[in-house]
Amino acid sequence: MSDSQVKTHGVNIEALGRNRQQKSSGDEECSLEVKNLKLFYGEKQALNGIDMHISKKRVTAFIGPSGCGKSTLLRCFNRMNDLVDGARVEGAILLEGENIYDKSVSAVELRRRIGMVFQKPNPFPKSIYENVAYGLRLQGIKDRRILDESVEKSLKGSALWDEVKDRLHDSALGLSGGQQQRLVIARAIAVEPEVLLLDEPASALDPISTLKIEELIYELKNDYTIVIVTHNMQQAARVSDYTAFMYMGDMIEFADTDTLFTNPRQKQTEDYITGRYG
Amino acid sequence: MDKIDIGHHISQRYNQELEEIRNQVLAMGGLVEQQLNNALQAYSNRDAAMAEQVIKDDYQVNALEVAIDEECTQVLARRQPAAGDLRLIVSVIKTITDLERIGDETGKVAKMTTALAESGNNSEQGIEIEHLGNRVRQILHDALDAFARTDVDAALKVAQEDIKVDREYESLMRQLITYMMEDPRTIRRSLDLMWTIRALERIGDHSRNICEYVIYLVKGRDVRHISLEQMEEEAGKR
Repeated sequence: MSDSQVKTHGVNIEALGRNRQQKSSGDEECSLEVKNLKLFYGEKQALNGIDMHISKKRVTAFIGPSGCGKSTLLRCFNRMNDLVDGARVEGAILLEGENIYDKSVSAVELRRRIGMVFQKPNPFPKSIYENVAYGLRLQGIKDRRILDESVEKSLKGSALWDEVKDRLHDSALGLSGGQQQRLVIARAIAVEPEVLLLDEPASALDPISTLKIEELIYELKNDYTIVIVTHNMQQAARVSDYTAFMYMGDMIEFADTDTLFTNPRQKQTEDYITGRYG
Repeated sequence: MDKIDIGHHISQRYNQELEEIRNQVLAMGGLVEQQLNNALQAYSNRDAAMAEQVIKDDYQVNALEVAIDEECTQVLARRQPAAGDLRLIVSVIKTITDLERIGDETGKVAKMTTALAESGNNSEQGIEIEHLGNRVRQILHDALDAFARTDVDAALKVAQEDIKVDREYESLMRQLITYMMEDPRTIRRSLDLMWTIRALERIGDHSRNICEYVIYLVKGRDVRHISLEQMEEEAGKR
Protein backbone atom coordinates (compact mmCIF):
# COMPACT_ATOMS: atom_id res chain seq x y z
CA MET A 1 0.00 0.00 0.00
CA SER A 2 1.44 3.35 -0.97
CA ASP A 3 1.43 6.27 1.46
CA SER A 4 -1.11 8.19 -0.54
CA GLN A 5 -3.75 5.53 -0.06
CA VAL A 6 -6.10 5.89 2.84
CA LYS A 7 -6.94 3.02 5.13
CA THR A 8 -10.23 1.58 4.03
CA HIS A 9 -10.56 -1.24 6.55
CA GLY A 10 -10.80 -3.83 3.84
CA VAL A 11 -13.53 -1.99 1.97
CA ASN A 12 -12.91 -1.86 -1.74
CA ILE A 13 -13.88 1.75 -2.41
CA GLU A 14 -13.64 1.31 -6.15
CA ALA A 15 -16.32 -1.36 -6.10
CA LEU A 16 -18.82 0.77 -4.22
CA GLY A 17 -21.86 2.71 -5.29
CA ARG A 18 -21.99 4.04 -8.79
CA ASN A 19 -19.04 1.99 -9.89
CA ARG A 20 -20.73 -1.21 -8.92
CA GLN A 21 -21.63 -3.28 -11.90
CA GLN A 22 -25.33 -3.57 -12.34
CA LYS A 23 -26.23 -7.19 -12.30
CA SER A 24 -27.79 -8.53 -15.40
CA SER A 25 -29.04 -12.06 -15.69
CA GLY A 26 -27.89 -12.00 -19.30
CA ASP A 27 -24.23 -12.02 -18.24
CA GLU A 28 -24.49 -15.01 -15.97
CA GLU A 29 -24.45 -18.67 -16.71
CA CYS A 30 -27.94 -19.67 -17.61
CA SER A 31 -29.59 -22.65 -15.97
CA LEU A 32 -33.06 -22.44 -17.43
CA GLU A 33 -34.10 -20.61 -20.53
CA VAL A 34 -37.76 -19.96 -21.16
CA LYS A 35 -38.70 -19.37 -24.78
CA ASN A 36 -42.05 -17.93 -25.77
CA LEU A 37 -43.81 -20.16 -23.26
CA LYS A 38 -47.58 -20.26 -23.51
CA LEU A 39 -49.86 -22.31 -21.32
CA PHE A 40 -53.53 -22.96 -21.77
CA TYR A 41 -55.96 -24.42 -19.28
CA GLY A 42 -58.52 -25.61 -21.83
CA GLU A 43 -59.64 -22.46 -23.64
CA LYS A 44 -58.15 -20.10 -21.10
CA GLN A 45 -54.60 -18.87 -21.70
CA ALA A 46 -52.69 -18.59 -18.42
CA LEU A 47 -49.24 -17.64 -19.75
CA ASN A 48 -48.92 -15.30 -22.71
CA GLY A 49 -45.55 -16.08 -24.20
CA ILE A 50 -42.92 -15.80 -21.48
CA ASP A 51 -39.24 -15.30 -22.32
CA MET A 52 -36.64 -15.31 -19.59
CA HIS A 53 -33.30 -16.59 -18.36
CA ILE A 54 -32.89 -18.15 -14.94
CA SER A 55 -29.31 -17.74 -13.78
CA LYS A 56 -27.36 -20.64 -12.35
CA LYS A 57 -26.83 -20.70 -8.58
CA ARG A 58 -28.87 -17.58 -8.10
CA VAL A 59 -32.24 -17.01 -6.49
CA THR A 60 -34.96 -15.83 -8.84
CA ALA A 61 -38.26 -14.75 -7.31
CA PHE A 62 -41.65 -14.51 -9.01
CA ILE A 63 -44.05 -11.99 -7.54
CA GLY A 64 -47.47 -10.82 -8.62
CA PRO A 65 -51.10 -10.84 -7.55
CA SER A 66 -53.10 -14.06 -7.24
CA GLY A 67 -53.88 -15.61 -10.58
CA CYS A 68 -51.07 -13.80 -12.42
CA GLY A 69 -49.51 -17.08 -13.51
CA LYS A 70 -46.44 -17.18 -11.28
CA SER A 71 -47.18 -20.61 -9.79
CA THR A 72 -48.24 -21.87 -13.19
CA LEU A 73 -44.91 -20.78 -14.61
CA LEU A 74 -43.03 -22.37 -11.72
CA ARG A 75 -44.86 -25.65 -12.31
CA CYS A 76 -43.83 -25.57 -15.95
CA PHE A 77 -40.21 -25.98 -14.89
CA ASN A 78 -40.72 -29.55 -13.76
CA ARG A 79 -43.73 -30.31 -15.89
CA MET A 80 -46.13 -30.44 -13.00
CA ASN A 81 -48.75 -29.05 -15.37
CA ASP A 82 -48.60 -32.39 -17.24
CA LEU A 83 -50.70 -33.68 -14.38
CA VAL A 84 -53.42 -31.05 -14.86
CA ASP A 85 -56.28 -32.12 -17.15
CA GLY A 86 -56.66 -29.89 -20.17
CA ALA A 87 -53.37 -28.05 -19.63
CA ARG A 88 -51.43 -27.51 -22.83
CA VAL A 89 -47.97 -26.00 -23.19
CA GLU A 90 -46.43 -24.24 -26.21
CA GLY A 91 -42.92 -22.91 -26.52
CA ALA A 92 -39.89 -24.35 -24.79
CA ILE A 93 -37.97 -24.45 -21.54
CA LEU A 94 -34.33 -25.35 -21.94
CA LEU A 95 -32.52 -26.93 -19.01
CA GLU A 96 -28.82 -26.72 -19.78
CA GLY A 97 -29.78 -26.30 -23.43
CA GLU A 98 -32.17 -29.25 -23.62
CA ASN A 99 -35.90 -28.70 -24.06
CA ILE A 100 -37.63 -30.30 -21.09
CA TYR A 101 -40.81 -30.63 -23.15
CA ASP A 102 -39.00 -32.77 -25.71
CA LYS A 103 -40.57 -36.19 -26.07
CA SER A 104 -37.28 -37.87 -25.26
CA VAL A 105 -37.16 -36.30 -21.79
CA SER A 106 -38.56 -38.42 -18.98
CA ALA A 107 -40.66 -36.45 -16.51
CA VAL A 108 -39.38 -38.63 -13.67
CA GLU A 109 -35.73 -37.94 -14.48
CA LEU A 110 -36.58 -34.25 -15.00
CA ARG A 111 -38.14 -34.02 -11.54
CA ARG A 112 -35.01 -35.52 -10.04
CA ARG A 113 -32.99 -32.74 -11.64
CA ILE A 114 -35.54 -30.08 -10.75
CA GLY A 115 -36.91 -30.55 -7.23
CA MET A 116 -39.94 -28.84 -5.83
CA VAL A 117 -41.15 -27.75 -2.41
CA PHE A 118 -44.73 -26.67 -1.82
CA GLN A 119 -46.50 -24.19 0.41
CA LYS A 120 -47.73 -26.76 2.86
CA PRO A 121 -45.06 -29.14 4.15
CA ASN A 122 -45.93 -32.62 2.96
CA PRO A 123 -43.75 -35.13 4.81
CA PHE A 124 -44.58 -38.78 4.25
CA PRO A 125 -46.01 -40.64 7.26
CA LYS A 126 -42.65 -42.26 7.84
CA SER A 127 -39.61 -41.61 9.99
CA ILE A 128 -37.47 -38.52 9.48
CA TYR A 129 -34.72 -40.76 8.12
CA GLU A 130 -36.98 -42.54 5.64
CA ASN A 131 -38.42 -39.26 4.40
CA VAL A 132 -35.00 -38.04 3.38
CA ALA A 133 -33.84 -41.41 2.07
CA TYR A 134 -37.02 -41.87 0.05
CA GLY A 135 -35.76 -40.54 -3.25
CA LEU A 136 -32.54 -42.50 -3.00
CA ARG A 137 -34.38 -45.73 -2.26
CA LEU A 138 -36.52 -45.08 -5.35
CA GLN A 139 -33.29 -44.93 -7.29
CA GLY A 140 -32.51 -48.39 -5.93
CA ILE A 141 -29.78 -47.39 -3.51
CA LYS A 142 -29.71 -49.87 -0.63
CA ASP A 143 -26.21 -49.40 0.78
CA ARG A 144 -26.80 -48.33 4.37
CA ARG A 145 -23.58 -46.33 4.48
CA ILE A 146 -24.46 -44.30 1.39
CA LEU A 147 -27.97 -43.70 2.72
CA ASP A 148 -26.70 -42.61 6.15
CA GLU A 149 -24.24 -40.22 4.61
CA SER A 150 -26.77 -38.73 2.27
CA VAL A 151 -29.40 -38.31 4.99
CA GLU A 152 -26.92 -36.53 7.24
CA LYS A 153 -25.63 -34.34 4.42
CA SER A 154 -29.13 -33.38 3.29
CA LEU A 155 -30.37 -32.64 6.80
CA LYS A 156 -27.28 -30.52 7.42
CA GLY A 157 -27.88 -28.81 4.08
CA SER A 158 -31.39 -27.90 5.13
CA ALA A 159 -30.23 -26.73 8.58
CA LEU A 160 -32.29 -29.37 10.38
CA TRP A 161 -29.61 -31.86 11.42
CA ASP A 162 -28.88 -30.46 14.86
CA GLU A 163 -32.55 -30.47 15.76
CA VAL A 164 -33.30 -34.06 14.68
CA LYS A 165 -30.04 -36.01 14.80
CA ASP A 166 -31.06 -37.79 18.03
CA ARG A 167 -34.48 -38.82 16.76
CA LEU A 168 -33.96 -39.73 13.13
CA HIS A 169 -36.27 -42.70 13.42
CA ASP A 170 -39.15 -40.82 15.02
CA SER A 171 -42.11 -40.00 12.84
CA ALA A 172 -41.70 -36.90 10.65
CA LEU A 173 -45.24 -35.92 11.53
CA GLY A 174 -44.08 -35.04 15.05
CA LEU A 175 -41.98 -32.15 13.74
CA SER A 176 -43.17 -28.55 13.83
CA GLY A 177 -44.36 -26.91 10.62
CA GLY A 178 -41.08 -25.10 10.10
CA GLN A 179 -39.09 -28.27 10.75
CA GLN A 180 -41.34 -30.23 8.41
CA GLN A 181 -40.71 -27.68 5.68
CA ARG A 182 -36.95 -27.97 6.16
CA LEU A 183 -37.34 -31.76 6.15
CA VAL A 184 -39.11 -31.55 2.81
CA ILE A 185 -36.28 -29.38 1.50
CA ALA A 186 -33.81 -32.03 2.77
CA ARG A 187 -35.81 -34.66 0.91
CA ALA A 188 -35.68 -32.54 -2.23
CA ILE A 189 -31.91 -31.98 -2.09
CA ALA A 190 -31.09 -35.61 -1.14
CA VAL A 191 -31.35 -36.61 -4.80
CA GLU A 192 -28.93 -33.79 -5.70
CA PRO A 193 -31.06 -31.80 -8.09
CA GLU A 194 -29.74 -28.86 -10.11
CA VAL A 195 -32.71 -26.60 -9.57
CA LEU A 196 -35.02 -26.15 -6.58
CA LEU A 197 -38.49 -24.77 -7.15
CA LEU A 198 -40.06 -23.29 -4.04
CA ASP A 199 -43.76 -22.48 -4.20
CA GLU A 200 -44.60 -20.19 -1.27
CA PRO A 201 -42.26 -22.21 0.96
CA ALA A 202 -42.73 -20.05 4.05
CA SER A 203 -46.26 -18.73 3.80
CA ALA A 204 -47.63 -21.30 6.25
CA LEU A 205 -44.84 -20.72 8.77
CA ASP A 206 -44.34 -18.41 11.74
CA PRO A 207 -41.85 -15.52 11.42
CA ILE A 208 -38.94 -17.36 13.05
CA SER A 209 -39.34 -20.45 10.88
CA THR A 210 -39.74 -18.14 7.91
CA LEU A 211 -36.40 -16.49 8.66
CA LYS A 212 -34.78 -19.93 8.99
CA ILE A 213 -36.11 -20.89 5.58
CA GLU A 214 -34.85 -17.60 4.12
CA GLU A 215 -31.46 -18.16 5.68
CA LEU A 216 -31.48 -21.67 4.24
CA ILE A 217 -32.29 -20.33 0.77
CA TYR A 218 -29.27 -18.06 1.05
CA GLU A 219 -27.08 -21.09 1.88
CA LEU A 220 -28.62 -23.33 -0.75
CA LYS A 221 -27.82 -21.02 -3.63
CA ASN A 222 -24.18 -21.98 -3.28
CA ASP A 223 -25.14 -25.34 -4.75
CA TYR A 224 -28.48 -24.93 -6.47
CA THR A 225 -30.37 -22.70 -8.81
CA ILE A 226 -33.43 -21.55 -6.90
CA VAL A 227 -36.72 -20.28 -8.19
CA ILE A 228 -39.18 -19.07 -5.59
CA VAL A 229 -42.78 -17.94 -5.80
CA THR A 230 -43.87 -15.72 -2.94
CA HIS A 231 -46.69 -13.40 -2.02
CA ASN A 232 -44.46 -11.74 0.50
CA MET A 233 -42.69 -8.98 -1.37
CA GLN A 234 -40.29 -8.23 1.44
CA GLN A 235 -39.31 -11.88 1.35
CA ALA A 236 -38.62 -11.68 -2.37
CA ALA A 237 -36.60 -8.52 -1.72
CA ARG A 238 -34.60 -10.23 1.01
CA VAL A 239 -33.79 -13.59 -0.54
CA SER A 240 -33.61 -13.12 -4.28
CA ASP A 241 -30.99 -11.90 -6.72
CA TYR A 242 -33.50 -11.40 -9.51
CA THR A 243 -37.19 -10.69 -9.35
CA ALA A 244 -39.85 -11.13 -11.99
CA PHE A 245 -43.14 -9.29 -11.66
CA MET A 246 -46.01 -11.05 -13.39
CA TYR A 247 -49.51 -9.83 -14.11
CA MET A 248 -52.35 -11.53 -15.97
CA GLY A 249 -50.08 -14.13 -17.53
CA ASP A 250 -47.48 -11.62 -18.73
CA MET A 251 -44.02 -10.99 -17.43
CA ILE A 252 -44.24 -7.27 -16.85
CA GLU A 253 -40.74 -6.70 -15.54
CA PHE A 254 -37.74 -8.87 -14.83
CA ALA A 255 -34.72 -7.21 -13.26
CA ASP A 256 -32.13 -7.57 -10.57
CA THR A 257 -33.84 -7.34 -7.21
CA ASP A 258 -32.02 -4.18 -6.11
CA THR A 259 -33.36 -2.28 -9.08
CA LEU A 260 -36.83 -3.72 -9.10
CA PHE A 261 -37.52 -2.73 -5.51
CA THR A 262 -35.98 0.73 -5.59
CA ASN A 263 -36.49 1.93 -9.13
CA PRO A 264 -38.78 -0.25 -11.22
CA ARG A 265 -39.19 0.65 -14.87
CA GLN A 266 -42.86 -0.19 -15.25
CA LYS A 267 -45.70 1.66 -13.56
CA GLN A 268 -47.56 -1.62 -12.99
CA THR A 269 -44.58 -2.96 -11.04
CA GLU A 270 -44.35 0.24 -9.00
CA ASP A 271 -48.06 0.14 -8.21
CA TYR A 272 -47.88 -3.48 -7.10
CA ILE A 273 -44.80 -3.29 -4.90
CA THR A 274 -45.88 -0.04 -3.26
CA GLY A 275 -49.40 -1.31 -2.59
CA ARG A 276 -51.29 0.95 -4.97
CA TYR A 277 -54.26 0.25 -7.14
CA GLY A 278 -53.35 0.79 -10.78
CA MET B 1 -42.72 7.13 -14.30
CA ASP B 2 -41.48 10.65 -13.99
CA LYS B 3 -44.51 11.56 -11.98
CA ILE B 4 -44.17 10.96 -8.28
CA ASP B 5 -47.53 9.94 -6.97
CA ILE B 6 -47.89 9.73 -3.25
CA GLY B 7 -51.59 8.93 -3.32
CA HIS B 8 -53.50 5.91 -4.62
CA HIS B 9 -52.28 3.46 -2.03
CA ILE B 10 -54.72 0.73 -1.18
CA SER B 11 -54.16 1.89 2.38
CA GLN B 12 -55.66 5.36 2.75
CA ARG B 13 -53.73 5.88 5.94
CA TYR B 14 -50.47 5.31 4.10
CA ASN B 15 -51.44 8.09 1.67
CA GLN B 16 -52.13 10.35 4.63
CA GLU B 17 -48.85 9.52 6.33
CA LEU B 18 -46.80 10.32 3.23
CA GLU B 19 -48.82 13.46 2.54
CA GLU B 20 -48.31 14.56 6.13
CA ILE B 21 -44.53 14.05 5.86
CA ARG B 22 -44.39 15.95 2.60
CA ASN B 23 -46.39 18.83 4.05
CA GLN B 24 -44.13 19.01 7.05
CA VAL B 25 -41.05 19.19 4.81
CA LEU B 26 -42.66 22.02 2.86
CA ALA B 27 -43.49 23.78 6.13
CA MET B 28 -39.91 23.32 7.30
CA GLY B 29 -38.67 24.67 3.96
CA GLY B 30 -40.95 27.68 4.28
CA LEU B 31 -39.71 28.34 7.79
CA VAL B 32 -36.05 28.11 6.76
CA GLU B 33 -36.71 30.42 3.83
CA GLN B 34 -38.38 32.92 6.15
CA GLN B 35 -35.45 32.71 8.55
CA LEU B 36 -33.00 33.45 5.73
CA ASN B 37 -35.09 36.38 4.53
CA ASN B 38 -35.20 37.79 8.04
CA ALA B 39 -31.48 37.31 8.56
CA LEU B 40 -30.67 39.09 5.30
CA GLN B 41 -33.07 41.91 6.09
CA ALA B 42 -31.61 42.24 9.58
CA TYR B 43 -28.16 42.40 8.01
CA SER B 44 -29.15 45.13 5.55
CA ASN B 45 -30.75 47.22 8.28
CA ARG B 46 -28.15 46.39 10.93
CA ASP B 47 -31.16 45.36 13.01
CA ALA B 48 -29.76 43.53 16.02
CA ALA B 49 -33.17 42.78 17.51
CA MET B 50 -34.34 41.09 14.34
CA ALA B 51 -31.11 39.14 14.08
CA GLU B 52 -31.55 37.97 17.67
CA GLN B 53 -35.04 36.77 16.83
CA VAL B 54 -33.67 34.73 13.90
CA ILE B 55 -31.19 33.05 16.23
CA LYS B 56 -33.93 32.35 18.77
CA ASP B 57 -36.32 30.89 16.21
CA ASP B 58 -33.82 28.32 14.95
CA TYR B 59 -35.19 25.91 17.56
CA GLN B 60 -38.35 25.60 15.43
CA VAL B 61 -36.31 24.36 12.48
CA ASN B 62 -34.58 21.85 14.72
CA ALA B 63 -37.87 20.67 16.20
CA LEU B 64 -39.30 20.07 12.73
CA GLU B 65 -36.22 18.09 11.73
CA VAL B 66 -36.61 15.80 14.72
CA ALA B 67 -40.36 15.40 14.18
CA ILE B 68 -40.04 14.57 10.46
CA ASP B 69 -37.21 12.13 11.13
CA GLU B 70 -39.42 10.38 13.66
CA GLU B 71 -42.29 10.11 11.19
CA CYS B 72 -39.99 8.73 8.50
CA THR B 73 -38.66 6.13 10.93
CA GLN B 74 -42.23 5.11 11.69
CA VAL B 75 -43.06 4.68 8.01
CA LEU B 76 -39.89 2.64 7.45
CA ALA B 77 -40.73 0.38 10.39
CA ARG B 78 -44.43 -0.01 9.71
CA ARG B 79 -44.77 0.15 5.96
CA GLN B 80 -41.48 -1.12 4.54
CA PRO B 81 -41.82 1.32 1.65
CA ALA B 82 -40.57 0.29 -1.78
CA ALA B 83 -39.74 1.99 -5.08
CA GLY B 84 -41.04 5.60 -5.28
CA ASP B 85 -42.27 5.56 -1.68
CA LEU B 86 -38.87 4.38 -0.47
CA ARG B 87 -37.11 7.04 -2.50
CA LEU B 88 -39.47 9.67 -1.10
CA ILE B 89 -38.64 8.71 2.49
CA VAL B 90 -34.91 8.53 1.81
CA SER B 91 -34.89 11.89 0.06
CA VAL B 92 -36.96 13.49 2.81
CA ILE B 93 -34.59 12.24 5.50
CA LYS B 94 -31.69 13.76 3.58
CA THR B 95 -33.49 16.95 2.60
CA ILE B 96 -34.36 17.87 6.16
CA THR B 97 -30.74 17.39 7.23
CA ASP B 98 -29.72 19.99 4.67
CA LEU B 99 -32.60 22.27 5.67
CA GLU B 100 -31.49 22.11 9.27
CA ARG B 101 -27.94 23.02 8.23
CA ILE B 102 -29.30 25.94 6.21
CA GLY B 103 -31.01 27.00 9.43
CA ASP B 104 -27.65 26.88 11.20
CA GLU B 105 -25.90 28.87 8.46
CA THR B 106 -28.69 31.43 8.63
CA GLY B 107 -28.02 31.68 12.35
CA LYS B 108 -24.38 32.48 11.56
CA VAL B 109 -25.43 35.34 9.27
CA ALA B 110 -27.68 36.67 12.03
CA LYS B 111 -24.93 36.36 14.61
CA MET B 112 -22.57 38.37 12.45
CA THR B 113 -25.27 41.02 12.14
CA THR B 114 -25.53 41.40 15.90
CA ALA B 115 -21.74 41.71 16.11
CA LEU B 116 -21.74 44.32 13.36
CA ALA B 117 -24.55 46.29 14.98
CA GLU B 118 -22.68 46.29 18.30
CA SER B 119 -19.41 47.48 16.78
CA GLY B 120 -21.34 50.28 15.08
CA ASN B 121 -19.19 49.82 12.00
CA ASN B 122 -21.36 50.42 9.00
CA SER B 123 -18.77 50.66 6.28
CA GLU B 124 -19.46 48.23 3.46
CA GLN B 125 -15.96 48.32 2.02
CA GLY B 126 -17.64 47.95 -1.32
CA ILE B 127 -18.49 44.36 -0.52
CA GLU B 128 -21.82 43.44 -2.03
CA ILE B 129 -23.17 40.91 0.40
CA GLU B 130 -26.76 41.75 -0.47
CA HIS B 131 -26.26 40.64 -4.03
CA LEU B 132 -24.92 37.26 -2.97
CA GLY B 133 -27.66 37.06 -0.34
CA ASN B 134 -30.39 37.61 -2.91
CA ARG B 135 -28.91 35.04 -5.23
CA VAL B 136 -28.77 32.48 -2.43
CA ARG B 137 -32.28 33.36 -1.31
CA GLN B 138 -33.50 32.71 -4.82
CA ILE B 139 -31.82 29.34 -5.22
CA LEU B 140 -33.11 28.16 -1.86
CA HIS B 141 -36.56 29.21 -3.01
CA ASP B 142 -36.13 27.40 -6.33
CA ALA B 143 -34.78 24.29 -4.62
CA LEU B 144 -37.81 24.12 -2.34
CA ASP B 145 -40.03 24.71 -5.33
CA ALA B 146 -38.34 21.88 -7.23
CA PHE B 147 -38.95 19.64 -4.22
CA ALA B 148 -42.59 20.68 -3.90
CA ARG B 149 -43.27 20.05 -7.57
CA THR B 150 -40.79 17.13 -7.90
CA ASP B 151 -39.48 18.98 -10.93
CA VAL B 152 -36.21 17.60 -12.31
CA ASP B 153 -35.62 20.48 -14.74
CA ALA B 154 -36.05 23.04 -11.97
CA ALA B 155 -33.67 20.99 -9.82
CA LEU B 156 -31.03 21.01 -12.55
CA LYS B 157 -31.39 24.76 -12.89
CA VAL B 158 -30.60 25.21 -9.20
CA ALA B 159 -27.42 23.17 -9.64
CA GLN B 160 -26.43 25.50 -12.49
CA GLU B 161 -27.23 28.57 -10.41
CA ASP B 162 -25.19 27.27 -7.50
CA ILE B 163 -22.10 27.45 -9.70
CA LYS B 164 -22.74 31.19 -10.04
CA VAL B 165 -22.99 31.47 -6.26
CA ASP B 166 -19.64 29.70 -5.94
CA ARG B 167 -18.06 32.10 -8.44
CA GLU B 168 -19.41 35.14 -6.69
CA TYR B 169 -18.16 33.76 -3.40
CA GLU B 170 -14.67 33.29 -4.85
CA SER B 171 -14.66 36.80 -6.20
CA LEU B 172 -15.77 38.31 -2.87
CA MET B 173 -13.07 36.31 -1.11
CA ARG B 174 -10.43 37.70 -3.42
CA GLN B 175 -11.66 41.23 -2.75
CA LEU B 176 -11.54 40.68 0.98
CA ILE B 177 -8.02 39.30 0.81
CA THR B 178 -6.98 42.37 -1.14
CA TYR B 179 -8.48 44.67 1.49
CA MET B 180 -6.75 42.82 4.27
CA MET B 181 -3.40 43.04 2.53
CA GLU B 182 -3.83 46.71 1.78
CA ASP B 183 -4.95 47.71 5.23
CA PRO B 184 -4.42 45.32 8.14
CA ARG B 185 -6.83 47.36 10.27
CA THR B 186 -9.69 45.88 8.21
CA ILE B 187 -8.75 42.30 9.06
CA ARG B 188 -11.19 41.87 11.90
CA ARG B 189 -14.08 43.30 9.94
CA SER B 190 -13.07 41.39 6.81
CA LEU B 191 -13.00 38.14 8.73
CA ASP B 192 -16.55 38.78 9.94
CA LEU B 193 -17.65 39.41 6.38
CA MET B 194 -15.80 36.31 5.28
CA TRP B 195 -17.75 34.15 7.70
CA THR B 196 -20.98 35.66 6.46
CA ILE B 197 -20.38 35.09 2.78
CA ARG B 198 -19.06 31.65 3.61
CA ALA B 199 -22.37 30.87 5.35
CA LEU B 200 -24.29 32.12 2.31
CA GLU B 201 -22.19 30.03 -0.03
CA ARG B 202 -22.87 26.96 2.12
CA ILE B 203 -26.61 27.62 1.88
CA GLY B 204 -26.19 27.46 -1.88
CA ASP B 205 -24.47 24.06 -1.56
CA HIS B 206 -27.22 22.71 0.70
CA SER B 207 -29.84 23.92 -1.78
CA ARG B 208 -28.03 22.08 -4.51
CA ASN B 209 -28.00 18.96 -2.34
CA ILE B 210 -31.76 19.18 -1.96
CA CYS B 211 -32.06 19.29 -5.73
CA GLU B 212 -29.90 16.19 -6.02
CA TYR B 213 -32.38 14.39 -3.78
CA VAL B 214 -35.21 15.62 -6.00
CA ILE B 215 -33.51 14.00 -8.99
CA TYR B 216 -32.99 10.81 -6.97
CA LEU B 217 -36.64 10.88 -5.93
CA VAL B 218 -37.97 11.27 -9.44
CA LYS B 219 -35.40 9.40 -11.51
CA GLY B 220 -33.93 6.94 -9.05
CA ARG B 221 -30.47 8.19 -10.06
CA ASP B 222 -27.87 9.15 -7.52
CA VAL B 223 -26.33 12.37 -8.84
CA ARG B 224 -24.19 13.35 -5.88
CA HIS B 225 -20.51 14.12 -6.31
CA ILE B 226 -20.53 14.30 -10.08
CA SER B 227 -20.08 17.15 -12.53
CA LEU B 228 -23.01 19.22 -13.75
CA GLU B 229 -22.70 17.66 -17.21
CA GLN B 230 -22.84 14.15 -15.79
CA MET B 231 -25.74 15.23 -13.61
CA GLU B 232 -27.69 16.47 -16.61
CA GLU B 233 -26.96 13.26 -18.46
CA GLU B 234 -28.11 11.10 -15.55
CA ALA B 235 -31.24 13.16 -15.02
CA GLY B 236 -32.08 12.83 -18.70
CA LYS B 237 -32.03 9.05 -18.48
CA ARG B 238 -35.19 7.27 -17.67
